[in-house]
Amino acid sequence: MDSLERYREIVPDFEGFLAIQNLPLLHSARVNTLKVDRSQLLAQLNEEEVGYRVFEWYPLGLALDVESPGKLLVNLQGYMHIQEEVSMVPPLVLDPQPGEQILDLCASPGSKTTQISQMMENRGLVVANEPSLSRIAPLRSNCERLGVLNVAITRYDGRRFPGGPFHRILVDAPCSSEGRARRGQGVLLRCNRKRSLDLQALQIGLLKNAVQLVEPGSIVVYSTCTYAPEENELVVAEVLDKAHLESASIAGLKGCPGITEWEGRELNEDLAKCTRYYPHINDTGGFFVAKLITD
Amino acid sequence: MPSSSRIRNVFEPLENSVVAELWNSRFGIPTQAFDGFRFFRKSHSVWVISNSHIPKLSYETLGMRIMNLKDRPWKPTTCALQIFGRSATKNLIHLDEAGAKLFLTGGSQPILSLSEPGYVVVFYRGDVLGCGLYSHGKLISQLPKERRMDAKMQGEDI
Repeated sequence: MDSLERYREIVPDFEGFLAIQNLPLLHSARVNTLKVDRSQLLAQLNEEEVGYRVFEWYPLGLALDVESPGKLLVNLQGYMHIQEEVSMVPPLVLDPQPGEQILDLCASPGSKTTQISQMMENRGLVVANEPSLSRIAPLRSNCERLGVLNVAITRYDGRRFPGGPFHRILVDAPCSSEGRARRGQGVLLRCNRKRSLDLQALQIGLLKNAVQLVEPGSIVVYSTCTYAPEENELVVAEVLDKAHLESASIAGLKGCPGITEWEGRELNEDLAKCTRYYPHINDTGGFFVAKLITD
Repeated sequence: MPSSSRIRNVFEPLENSVVAELWNSRFGIPTQAFDGFRFFRKSHSVWVISNSHIPKLSYETLGMRIMNLKDRPWKPTTCALQIFGRSATKNLIHLDEAGAKLFLTGGSQPILSLSEPGYVVVFYRGDVLGCGLYSHGKLISQLPKERRMDAKMQGEDI
């Protein structure tokens, strides 16, 4: 938990932020509209006596009151996908349209890939890139279970992904994952400023490549599940000569603005358009989302 | 069906009609169910993907693996049956609750069916559970291990 101390000045209600780290997250899932209607899934959950609450900000998101949602028949059948609540935000900011060509640069295990696919109603193409061989199997398995028919998997180093242009790109970058601490505190033991700076080099490489794989005026979404400014605003700042920011907020879900000052250094004030999701504000995990429009 | 290169990551285009006719002949699925898709073959596998421009890249997968041609008869995948098998009109078996549970745990069960021996679409309450093998009055579950009820699930992710 010590590793979070350096965020005391930037996180509102810091004591509340620390306190909630020890509270496990509720399970949550997304309705897979590629296979069922929302009403059909809800009826099946009622029948199996699984308690649920629909998210106020997203009608396809459900909080589940059940111990092992992965074992439910509705999950095995691919009618829903277990996914953390704020993890459902980046695809909504990306706003992919049916028939478009989308690149998901860091795809596995595919929660956001499959959400993008369902937003596109299985039409068009999602290129799901994942360099790590061991992470291809879960990505593929999730696509198959969910009935996804418009995803093609590649294995390039995202910093040198060839090709394009794509209509939109999601860069859900590898990160220190501090926002996952409510799933297990172990993740925080590995987190510190140095580790974040190591990851930053990779994250900048990924985002710099992404902004040149789309036409001018296209959306590139950058997201992480960490609080570290080194992996968030300081990465986004590196491409502000090639793209500008638009608000990444979502109606009905409380976010905090991106920071514009860190370690005594003034940052680009546009970075306030990024959105930070803290666990104690909406009772979720933690996330960072930036919406870039290429110039 | 034409033979295929076994070189890695080489997907060779296949005519829609070749695939549609095989599925029509075994399961009575209307050939139009396969309109709007493209088919590829890599080694013994056939893949289906929504019809769209496919940029020239090196691919690990192209859409969903729908059938395996390695043995005779060809074998449909469970994930493909859950999409295309819904409109099957023959070689299908409806299970009751107890039968469905047994099927979902990967078990075999004696069953009386008019199906021809071979792979069948297994239904429970109107939903496709997946692929079964019907032979000598017995239904053998072909569900992949990770899709079985007692199987360890893919970890949830954030």
